[in-house]
Order: sequence, then C-alpha cells, then structure tokens
Amino acid sequence: MIVTEPHQIQKIMEAYPAEQRYALAILQDIQNACNYLPEESLALVSGRIGVPVAQLYSLATFYKALSLTPKGKHIIKVCDGTACHMCGSSSLLISLKQVLGVEEGELTADGQFSYECVNCVGSCALAPVMVINANYYAKVNTEKLVAILEKYQPGGEFDE
Amino acid sequence: MIIKIDGKECTCESGEFLIDIAKRNDIFVPTLCSMKPVLLDRGCCRVCVVELTENSRSKIVVSCIYPVERECEVFTQSEKAVRERGMVLALLKLLAPDAKLITQMAKAYHAPELERLEPRADGGSCILCGRCVDACNLLGTSAIAAMNRGVTKEINTAFGAPATTCIGCTSCAQVCPTDAISFEETDSTRTIWNQSFELAHCEICGEILGTAASLKHAANITGDEPSSLCPKHERRNSAKSLASIYRR
Ligand code: SF4
Ligand code: FES
Ligand code: FES
Repeated sequence: MIVTEPHQIQKIMEAYPAEQRYALAILQDIQNACNYLPEESLALVSGRIGVPVAQLYSLATFYKALSLTPKGKHIIKVCDGTACHMCGSSSLLISLKQVLGVEEGELTADGQFSYECVNCVGSCALAPVMVINANYYAKVNTEKLVAILEKYQPGGEFDE
Repeated sequence: MIIKIDGKECTCESGEFLIDIAKRNDIFVPTLCSMKPVLLDRGCCRVCVVELTENSRSKIVVSCIYPVERECEVFTQSEKAVRERGMVLALLKLLAPDAKLITQMAKAYHAPELERLEPRADGGSCILCGRCVDACNLLGTSAIAAMNRGVTKEINTAFGAPATTCIGCTSCAQVCPTDAISFEETDSTRTIWNQSFELAHCEICGEILGTAASLKHAANITGDEPSSLCPKHERRNSAKSLASIYRR
C-alpha cells in the first residue's frame, strides 16, 4: 500500500524521537512508504525534528536511496560497474528502455516500474547483474529480461 | 613550544592551528574558505596547504585546520607546497571558471593549465566552500544548503523555490570569497535566491536600511521594534530625547 496522507507521514515520524539525528532514518521510512518524498513531507519532518527544509532537501538530493519524484512499485537496478559494463549492461539498459517505454529514473505509466543504473553491486562473476527490489538476476539478456519483468506485472508472482 | 615557519622561530601553544601561528608572525598563507568575519574550520578549499616536516618526515597539511602538537618545521614556499597549491588552484579554476579572484590567484600562484580536464559546463564562480550556508545557519535562517552531488552539486534553496525562512539579508553574498551570489536591487525591492523582498528606508533621509523581513528578523531576536531610521538619524534622535530628559 502506498502512503500519501499527512497523518500517515505523521505516524512514520512518531516512531522516532523528535531529534535532529533521526532525519535520515525518517526520510528513508517515508521513501519506503510513499516510493518517494512528497514535497510536503519535508516541511512536516522539518516541523517535527527542527532540521531546516533546505538541509532535508540537501539530504534528499545527495542520497541515491532517496528521491523527490515517484519511483515505481518495483525498482529495477541495472549494474553498470566495470564487469557488468564489459558484459553488456548498456544493451540491457537499451532493452529496458524499449520494453518499459520510459527513460532512466522515470516512472512507467502504470506506476509499476522505474529503473536506474548503479555501480558494482558486488556480484561481478554473475555479470551483467540486475536487481529488482531485493532479488538478484544473473547474466541477464534481453530474452531473460522480458520473462523476469513478467513476474512483477500486476498479478505476477512477485507483485504483491 | 617553538616551531619554525619559513625559518622563523614562532612560539605557540599545543593545539593551535598552524595558520593562526603563521598569521601572528606575519607569515602570509593564502586562504579562501577560512576568512573573516565567518571563521569556521571548514578546511575545504585547500589553498592554504603548506609543507610540514616532523622527525625528518615531510607531509602536506591544510594549515587552517592543522593543530600543531609537536615541534616541527613548516615551509610555506617549498617546491612541494607551491606545487600542491598551484594544483589546487588549477582545479578550483575549472570548478569556478568565471570567478575573477580564482583566475587571479591561479596566475599568481603558478597554477598549471590542465588541458585534459574541461571547466564546469555551467560556468559560474562558486567554489562550493559552503561559507554562505554557514552564514545563513548562524543567522538562524537556514534558507540555503548544498544540493545534489558530484558535478551537479550547487548551493540553492530547497526545490529552487522561494524559501520561507529567507529574509533577503545578503549575508551569504557578503561572506562569499568569490562573489558568486548575485542579487538585484531597485529603489523598492531586492531580489535574491528566487524571491523578491520589499526594502525599508530611513523615515528621515530615505537611505536603504535593508529588507523589511531582515529588520523584522533582527527585531525578533533583540525583542525591540524593527528600526525605521538609519544609524545616523537613530543617533540624532536618541541624542534629542536624552537632551529633552536633561532639560526637564
Ligand atoms: S556561493 Fe560563495 S560562499 Fe557559497 S559555496 Fe559558493 S563560493 Fe562558497
Ligand atoms: S560490476 Fe556489476 S556486480 Fe560488479
Ligand atoms: S583556507 Fe584552509 S582549506 Fe580553505
């Protein structure tokens, strides 16, 4: 379920003491609940823990795990580290773009997917590697890609 | 404790920052991010690097944040120090290609031309030292911060939108070593950081006092009414009222 209401955000914040040092943890929880950080949420967090909005925005634009634009229900990470790059991650990215019809970082029309390029995920022997949510896929090529995505479509095995 | 800087013997306490000892002894070390009136130990521009030898080992240290703890000898003009400083300035020049001060310093300190690297594409004069952010935080307004990361890092307000806490005081612009923060002023408004502020004038002579918002901010802190006179007329007024008290 995707959370958007202010009172739901309030609830996320209340899990932590109202102290500045919990800024990142709170932002992370909001990101997980909403799939992004809604603009109003920064003001809410700022109001509760006393970290200025500018500094929260700074955190939000610094960490890749945080995002100010909605991300897909399933986030696809394509490794473009050295090994994966050599084994064809670029063509994987091209195929993804064709299959999903959006650019890197954008959301598909149904809100189901967004994809991004990351650096070495530490499984170079399995290059090229793709990660969806927390599932790793090894030696991915275009044919495999379509079959994998199928499982995350509405009603698919991994779409809960 | 006595240390030697460029051959001169300098007395110092343990833990003092190297640059303070040098300055006290009239030895000049260039600085950018550590400057008056906002003196915070940022240590991020690195133009103040010097060479330090200790137990016959030599290293490059950042003098504005290096606490001296043992006897040592410092060279501000050694070949190594000059080379490092030149390289720092060469890189800063690529980061802030439009900054006059940096261009001048790069020339004065013999910065090499780095042909393999491109200057920052969107130009500008900001060296991302963060002094403006510190000044804004010190005032308690915290309207700006460093946004994004890597080559897209910049100083801005959240969402690049008008910040509710900004009072248009231009403190950020005043502490910027490279004049990177621009603002526009007409007779009645000042525009900075994506928003326009109404200016307040002296009730008698019409001199600009600052933005109405900044006067209010100051008054909030001191607990007074926002001032409506320039310092000159303020003084005259209080002299008058004093005089009338005595005459009574
Ligand atoms: S605008 Fe000026 S003070 Fe602010 S980070 Fe850039 S160079 Fe430093
Ligand atoms: S380069 Fe992709 S896992 Fe290491
Ligand atoms: S003045 Fe020392 S690092 Fe900037």
